[in-house]
Amino acid sequence: MSGSASALARRGAFASFVGLCFTYLLLPSVIIVPMSFSSQSYLSFPPSGLSLRWYQGLAADPAWQAAAMNSFLIGLPSALIAVTLGTLAALATERGGLRWATTAVAVIVAPMMLPHVILAIGLYPVMLELGMLRGYLGAIVGHAVIGLPLVFVSVSAVLKNYTPALELAAMTCGADRLRSFLHVTLPMIRMGVLGGGILAFAASFDELMLSLFLTGTGTRTLPRLIWEQLNDFLTPTIAAVATLIFSFSLLLLGALAVFGRIGRSMPAPLALATAETAAHG
Amino acid sequence: MVEPRAIEILPDRPAEEASPSGASLRLEAVSKCYGSLTALEPTDLDVRPGEFFGLIGPSGSGKSTLLGMIAGFVPPSGGRILLNGEDIVDLPPYRRNLGMVFQNYALFPHMTVAENIGFPLRMRKLARGDIEGRVRRMLEVVRLSGLGERMPAQLSGGQQQRVALARAASYDPALLLMDEPLGALDKNLREEMQYEIKRFHREIGATVLYVTHDQDEAATMSDRIAILNHGRVVQVGRPRELYEAPATSFVASFLGEANLFEVAVVRQAPPLRLRVETKDGLTMSANQHPDFKADAVVCVRPEAIQISANAGAAANVVAGRVLDAVYTAGSLRYRVEVAPGRVVLVRRPLQRQTAVIEVGSPVYLAWDIADTILIPNP
Repeated sequence: MSGSASALARRGAFASFVGLCFTYLLLPSVIIVPMSFSSQSYLSFPPSGLSLRWYQGLAADPAWQAAAMNSFLIGLPSALIAVTLGTLAALATERGGLRWATTAVAVIVAPMMLPHVILAIGLYPVMLELGMLRGYLGAIVGHAVIGLPLVFVSVSAVLKNYTPALELAAMTCGADRLRSFLHVTLPMIRMGVLGGGILAFAASFDELMLSLFLTGTGTRTLPRLIWEQLNDFLTPTIAAVATLIFSFSLLLLGALAVFGRIGRSMPAPLALATAETAAHG
Repeated sequence: MVEPRAIEILPDRPAEEASPSGASLRLEAVSKCYGSLTALEPTDLDVRPGEFFGLIGPSGSGKSTLLGMIAGFVPPSGGRILLNGEDIVDLPPYRRNLGMVFQNYALFPHMTVAENIGFPLRMRKLARGDIEGRVRRMLEVVRLSGLGERMPAQLSGGQQQRVALARAASYDPALLLMDEPLGALDKNLREEMQYEIKRFHREIGATVLYVTHDQDEAATMSDRIAILNHGRVVQVGRPRELYEAPATSFVASFLGEANLFEVAVVRQAPPLRLRVETKDGLTMSANQHPDFKADAVVCVRPEAIQISANAGAAANVVAGRVLDAVYTAGSLRYRVEVAPGRVVLVRRPLQRQTAVIEVGSPVYLAWDIADTILIPNP
């Protein structure tokens, strides 16, 4: 009896530890939400009065709308480039039988390890030379560099779950390389491709350093505008923008979870049970 | 009680009885090198239409390389591969029109059983109705009718393997390649599936090239077998031929068990007999052989040897002492020392009344003159 009591205590202690970890991770992000509904004109917690004036202000300010539009105009194409190149790179290193595959992997994931400021400083003179500085194209290319490793890692992980024999089987069934990719490989790795794409888009949406170096007044993104505003006035407008970005990120995460649920055909125990009835019946 | 010499009680199966829809496969000097490493030396092989042809050998013997070259995954370094007389070396795998069954089934996990079986037909752009009809027929052939809408993950290992068979054969390929298809199954299911695959072969009539490292499996299933070792085909023949007249000591010990003796002296012993002295100092009689000389090898199968306390009157009698006796399902295995350091393996079928000979007892080993198998060029 004392054994089960102490087990209960241990489980309780573990649960509170996990709860503490979650609080530590989430509190800084969540605390911004009530601050955005403040009726005062400076950042305060807890807010003394509630109002929606900062959201109304946002809606009325064309600068914020333009920045949000820019974030999408840069984020979506850069995610698309990252998805295409990252998936191809993962196929090459996982299935290509390359002798230098390990080196290639290290080079491809390098932008993930490298401080973004170094990448930004490197890209700056290149874009300047190419005349792509402060335009959309320069920012898109720069952001794709950050998104590519995310797609690569996510697709590689999914590819590792499937034996290369599947593609060989498709070919002996009469599918050429393209049809074997479209009918067999792609359907199997689609969750990795989609997940990697969402991560790449989120990374671009979130990226400040590259935007500081590569965008101009016409192409500045949300994080860059927040940064500029922070220097001048610290109003709850910032908190309102942050809350909107936070909600949007939650939406993306939710989408990823829903797609993941659909991707799995059936939960394992159920699959096992049906296999057994099939074997007996 | 059945003698455990499974290979000998199986009737010979002439390849002529097979259906004519299978293709002939002919390899001419096919070889594969990886840099300075030779995976397969120039190899000739002739597989007859409709034949069930086994390809066996230890891992690294080149059998998977050979299969990969026929399937089109591995480009050969030289030689020709003729399918029904046509060279297919330059064709990509998807134009070779052959079926393949993989060791781990390689079923497409995102497709239903029916979609898996219909995939080759879809790639060949058959009409939807034709595909449905053929899939239904294939499901009947592999006895999985009614399971077409299942996902592969919902099936047992044996069922998945049957789906793989049906998919490989759904478009009536003239040649079916099987790469250790039963390797992932447990022993009982494996034996059941051996019969299933044989039945399947009779029903579809295609030529089958069956790769395995399990010599019993190959012997049970194959019309003929090619044994590979170190990248070379060592011997081709019916299972019984290989067992009774192995070309090398490798074949003798790979297919079944073998007691091998190196030969020191050979003497003529009329009428039409040989008297062989081995390097262990044993003397045994064998049938006449035109070019049998010293430095050759003789082989005596463990199951060909009688063991008893009396010398008896057999052509070959050797005295020894029992080192140990081990019971295995249905038979007893003795290890008998016949000379210092020389141990002979004996296997006897075990019946209810069979007395087990005590460890340490002196015994006589006896075998027939025809059971001294001569291997001229080991």
